[in-house]
Amino acid sequence: MTSILSHAPDTRHAADLRLFGQFTGAWQTRVTYLRPDGSPARHITGEWEFSYALDGRAVVDVWRVPAGTIPCADTQREVGLCVRIWDPRLRLWRFTFHSTATTTVIHMYARQVGPDIVLERAEADRIERWVFHDLQPATFSWRNEISRNHGPWRTVQTVRAQRTAKT
Amino acid sequence: MANHDQTNGLLPVEVICVPWSLGLRPDAGGAEPGTWSAPRALCEAGLGRRLGAVAVTELPHPPYQAEAQPGTRVRNGVTLREHSLLLVDAVSDAIAGGRLPVVLGGDCSLLLGCLGGARRHHEIALVHIDGHPDFTHPGNHDFATLGAAAGMDLALATGRGELILTRWPGLDGPLVEDRHVVQLGDRTGQALPPGLLVIGIDEMLAMGMDAAARRAVEHLRATHPIWVHVDLDVLDAAILPSVDTPGTPGLTFEELTRLLSRLRQTGRILGVDVTIYNPHLDPDSAHPSPIVGCVAAGLQGELA
Repeated sequence: MTSILSHAPDTRHAADLRLFGQFTGAWQTRVTYLRPDGSPARHITGEWEFSYALDGRAVVDVWRVPAGTIPCADTQREVGLCVRIWDPRLRLWRFTFHSTATTTVIHMYARQVGPDIVLERAEADRIERWVFHDLQPATFSWRNEISRNHGPWRTVQTVRAQRTAKT
Repeated sequence: MANHDQTNGLLPVEVICVPWSLGLRPDAGGAEPGTWSAPRALCEAGLGRRLGAVAVTELPHPPYQAEAQPGTRVRNGVTLREHSLLLVDAVSDAIAGGRLPVVLGGDCSLLLGCLGGARRHHEIALVHIDGHPDFTHPGNHDFATLGAAAGMDLALATGRGELILTRWPGLDGPLVEDRHVVQLGDRTGQALPPGLLVIGIDEMLAMGMDAAARRAVEHLRATHPIWVHVDLDVLDAAILPSVDTPGTPGLTFEELTRLLSRLRQTGRILGVDVTIYNPHLDPDSAHPSPIVGCVAAGLQGELA
């Protein structure tokens, strides 16, 4: 099936769709997992590929860690699918992440906040935000920050991305 | 930018009916509380006629879901986002047409759509008349149980809470800033941020409605038009028990009329919402008539 992918945003909502559409193409990532004190616990090189999809109404991306070129056991490689749908009724992006390595499915909502793109979900014990920041044509940064039980925000994971191909 | 200056006369009224209970907990039977049916009850009791309304707009009754929706700890949070944006359009259209929107709820969560519609035209101030501050947010509440947006509306309006209900199209900040908010009638004593002016119910009753209105308006920047939120639970439970969370002490109908009248006479009122009457708790329909009389007289600037 090839019809899942699209070459361009739906013209009815093209301006809104370009928020995540700006990432279409392939990126090399340097993923850093942080200790509770904020110091780096480990680094992994990964890949992140974005495309318009679903007749241009969505952006999908594949998150692969470690990168396919790095040998590792199958069970240790995460290949996740993100589906980002612009919802004109909500004037928000609806987001889901589907993991192949675990049973995890994550629901979030996203929109531009100042110069950044913020995705957010609330669970019983936490609010979690994934923030795209320092956006440039060939690079961007990303961080995962969590506030548990009304506590302060703590960054638990960061990504530095470098564009390797543009579609 | 629409003109809100009413120093040369009151704007004609547009009634906007918002039949939802999205922001409330389910009732004892697990069903949607009856607050959604208040707009019809108040219109049938003649509120539009008493206000000389030139237009009536009825928004749809959205589906109520008691269980959690994905990614949010606010009950009906996603539905509330969608329908608040419909209310934004309705309020904005009324203001653009030179009319005073009088929004009939429904529960207090409708405040977000009201302010969103007003913000398309103006920076605004808010007089939040309510027996509770409605200031629950993730910084002061355990969301192990689902939150009710009707208890969060002021926190959400000032930018505290989940993204889906604090970030709105065309705005890069909160719907209203703390320093442009006055909370009148709180009977809980909950501490609010220092920028907000709070006049609790005991202080309000002691100073009287004229003084409370004067102090509220003096606190708010003169360049900003004012949205007035009226949660009818500010009335004493002995007078109006058919609300979501009745309490005492509280205002009389005459006192609420006087307060609204004094606010309307400033010529700065951009819009008004009236919330939380529950006809299902009023089987004899004893209360629509006095509510209509109170609100209509107040918004026409008649002193009790």
